[in-house]
Amino acid sequence: MAEHATHDHHAEAHEAHSTRFYWMVGAVLAVITTIEVAIFLVKDAIGHELFLAILFLLSIAKGAGVVMFFMHLRGDARIFQFVFVVPLTFAVTLCLAFLTIFSHHVGIAG
Amino acid sequence: MSATSHAHHDEAGQAPLVGSLGVDSRKLGLWAFIGSETLFFTALITTHLIFYARTKAQLMADGMLAHMDPKHFLGINLTSVLAAILLASSLTMVLALAASKSKEWAKFRFWLLATIILGSSFVLGQAYEFTHLYAEGLKLAPQYVFEGETVKSLFGVTFFTMTGFHGLHVTIGVIWLLAVYFKVQRFAASPENPMDVELVGLYWHFVDLVWVAIFTLIYLI
Amino acid sequence: MAIAEQKLTSVSPATASSGSFPWRTWLATVDHKKIGIIYIVSAFVFFLLGGIEAMLMRVQLGAPNNTFLSADVYNQLFTMHATTMIFLMVMPMNVGIGNYVVPLMIGARDMAFPRLNAMSIWLFLGGGLLLYMSFLTGGAPNGGWFAYAPLTQVQYSPTSGMDYWILGLGLTGVASIAGALNFIVTVLNMRAPGMTLNRMPLFVWMNLVVSFIIIFAFPTFTVGSIELLFDRQFGGAFFNPAQGGDAMLWQHLFWFFGHPEVYILILPVMGMISEILPVFSRKPIFGYSFVAFSGVGIGFLGFIVWAHHMFGVGMGPMANAFFSAASMVIAIPTGVKIFNWIATMWAGDVRLTTAMLYANGFISMFIIGGISGITLASPPIDLQQTDSYYVVAHLHYVLFGGSILGLFAGAYYWFPKMTGRMLNERIGKIQFWVMMVSFNVTFFPMHIVGTEGMPRRIYTYEAGMGWDIWNFIETVGTFFLAFSVLIFVYNVLSSLRTGEIASNDPWDAATLEWAIPSPPPSYNFLHIPIVSSRRPLWDAKYPHAAGDGHHGAANAPASVRYEYTDEETPGAKEIHMPSITFSPMILSGGLTVAALGFVYINKDILGLPTRVAALGFVLIGIAMVAYAIWGWIVDSRKDSPYLGQHH
Repeated sequence: MAEHATHDHHAEAHEAHSTRFYWMVGAVLAVITTIEVAIFLVKDAIGHELFLAILFLLSIAKGAGVVMFFMHLRGDARIFQFVFVVPLTFAVTLCLAFLTIFSHHVGIAG
Repeated sequence: MSATSHAHHDEAGQAPLVGSLGVDSRKLGLWAFIGSETLFFTALITTHLIFYARTKAQLMADGMLAHMDPKHFLGINLTSVLAAILLASSLTMVLALAASKSKEWAKFRFWLLATIILGSSFVLGQAYEFTHLYAEGLKLAPQYVFEGETVKSLFGVTFFTMTGFHGLHVTIGVIWLLAVYFKVQRFAASPENPMDVELVGLYWHFVDLVWVAIFTLIYLI
Repeated sequence: MAIAEQKLTSVSPATASSGSFPWRTWLATVDHKKIGIIYIVSAFVFFLLGGIEAMLMRVQLGAPNNTFLSADVYNQLFTMHATTMIFLMVMPMNVGIGNYVVPLMIGARDMAFPRLNAMSIWLFLGGGLLLYMSFLTGGAPNGGWFAYAPLTQVQYSPTSGMDYWILGLGLTGVASIAGALNFIVTVLNMRAPGMTLNRMPLFVWMNLVVSFIIIFAFPTFTVGSIELLFDRQFGGAFFNPAQGGDAMLWQHLFWFFGHPEVYILILPVMGMISEILPVFSRKPIFGYSFVAFSGVGIGFLGFIVWAHHMFGVGMGPMANAFFSAASMVIAIPTGVKIFNWIATMWAGDVRLTTAMLYANGFISMFIIGGISGITLASPPIDLQQTDSYYVVAHLHYVLFGGSILGLFAGAYYWFPKMTGRMLNERIGKIQFWVMMVSFNVTFFPMHIVGTEGMPRRIYTYEAGMGWDIWNFIETVGTFFLAFSVLIFVYNVLSSLRTGEIASNDPWDAATLEWAIPSPPPSYNFLHIPIVSSRRPLWDAKYPHAAGDGHHGAANAPASVRYEYTDEETPGAKEIHMPSITFSPMILSGGLTVAALGFVYINKDILGLPTRVAALGFVLIGIAMVAYAIWGWIVDSRKDSPYLGQHH
């Protein structure tokens, strides 16, 4: 039978982004990283909670950018989103659960 | 043999009968593997966070936190450069993929080579950081020595285990990138090339993602 | 268009009888059917080994203050018994049967990644080899299959046994993850046209769920094992409290994996039962969607109950309450399955074949195990029961009464398909009853003796505690249990030689694997069937039978027929199956060699420079892996012109 290796599948919507788009995403990621480092350098001035919150949001944005655009999860078949997001949810839950269990807070953790 | 299915039509030639997701098998397998690896790194990172919290509490109780915080070992300068290198390599990777899809092979080779060089630089930079830390007194041992004082802490153990395994993944990624580079060069006409590039690209971006997490959680917090 | 099975006019031997054994075909195979058989046979051998370990322990415990075994040997035996039964028997047996049957049930020619499939089987055998090698190299692992810290630290477990445990299970873990990825892609991407997820056999559903559980649960165990290896070999102290580590961290990491692991052991078997009951009740499974989704529910909930193994360590009331509640909730989807199974049989035309007897044995024994589990889910009750023989009773009712009885059901059901011969039903029924009675004689008294205070994991006990008579009875029961296994072995061996020849469809079953010959040709289906219902073969045979089998238009196209083809049939030779290759085996061999090196990577034994030799092993292993990957890529290029070929 003839090759069908690059057959277009109804389930895979693969609109290719232009290279300009990728450069723009790259630039945004670079900017975010710069802001992160800058925030780190002034972290004593802004308080611990605010520092943590900003950092978390920024790194989530960076991660989302890599996953959605570089790994093309946005616009790809839904199953790929499922097999990535579900374990990510498990992972975050594991981390939070363990941090709670090992926090030595009286009543919650022994 | 990665079988991709094509739509079967019923005898009347009507709507295709669904029997499978119709996605590339290797791509699905790799995404599922990435999901699994997410949990692997989470467990390593969580272990590190648990023991760092302990070290901090212990130092705070002794009034030594500001002076002896093991974070003093970790220079923000080098690690920011490493983070930038890895992010840049993700960009070059996706540019290489785009070039392979539009069959611009000279561009493809350029961008893939750039990714390989950036990735290798990360590994070398990480190796340099490790030797630097060892010289300064942070080792894979249950204590560290900072400015002559010994602190009993698992910071070194968890740090090196976590970043060491990340570095191992990057190294495997660089080898994989090289393999794809030579394969595409040798078999330029193979229609599988864009998918081969996409697969290594997905792995490479994941390795970058883990570094995003490590950079924030370990170096910055 | 009703189809009827052809009457057999000629006898085709189940195995070729041409002189020497086809070593190359089997050792370099990538065929899911051959790989499945290697898994099944290997797992059965480990079953016998694990059974011998159990019998030795029971001899020791048969009388108080016995001196048959030393404490140290006893510790090795209970560690290896559990490790063997869990990782080297039930898991690979599930995977073996799944490997053989799932592609057939979905109308595929093979798994999605045949070479990766081969790698999994050889890697599993490499891990098993490493584990059992330890008996000869200073002592088997002796810290329990759960390997609690800090007992597993090198100062308390100085032999290399625990290192073999870590690395042997590391290899089998990689094999399991690779296998799970294979199943996920196969089930999602390679079903026959018309077979939506909603029409998949429940055995396939359960394999899909279990495969996801595997890839989500194993990484935590991998990390824990790596950290333990670092503790033992590289100066870490993750779990060593004396140096700032935390023994509880091991427990949480281990059980985060360990609890989903028990669902890995039981869910595929539940899938088998969901296939067997309808066939021998001549009724569709009752509540297909409920059974499917309760499997998903169990898989998901299984991840949030892990600390019910740790009620005795002092986690505090909040943690205890949460895990207790979650553990009780998980009884709900389990109950849903049981009620649906019973409803399937209700008012059905029940045929009590051996497979059906075992399926019912499974349900009844699993219910008992489930009930003892409910009591264990309550922390105050568990504080008395934990670490006692009550838990040993519970786990054997669900793992033996559940998984193993279910596996025997699957064996009697699918043996004809795999070998072309029927197992003897009369011997089978006798074997079933001997096993059922001796199983209960062996394990039921453990509820009693545990409640009366007998601890588990002890090599002997004082006389006069009220435990003597029960232990003696349990030991006697063990020997009859062993005898029932021997009857099974006899049944298998004699049926292979002179058993009744099996047709395509000896049970009048409903799913696609029964449309093709027993055993199937290498390519499985000459023509990939087109499916339009949950029970494609029944609907082809009995198109006018009432039932909810049809999901789709009344005259939706379906194309399911009995095939009587082999490699000589016109058209068969044009079907290209992936070539045999030794690359997967060489890769697995390389990883095994490297793992063996890691056992000794930081030890000087008897004053010899074993560190250097160990490093040599690691490097040789890596070189073998590199060589195998090269060959693998070459092989994949050989097969690439045929990518996407279906028929």
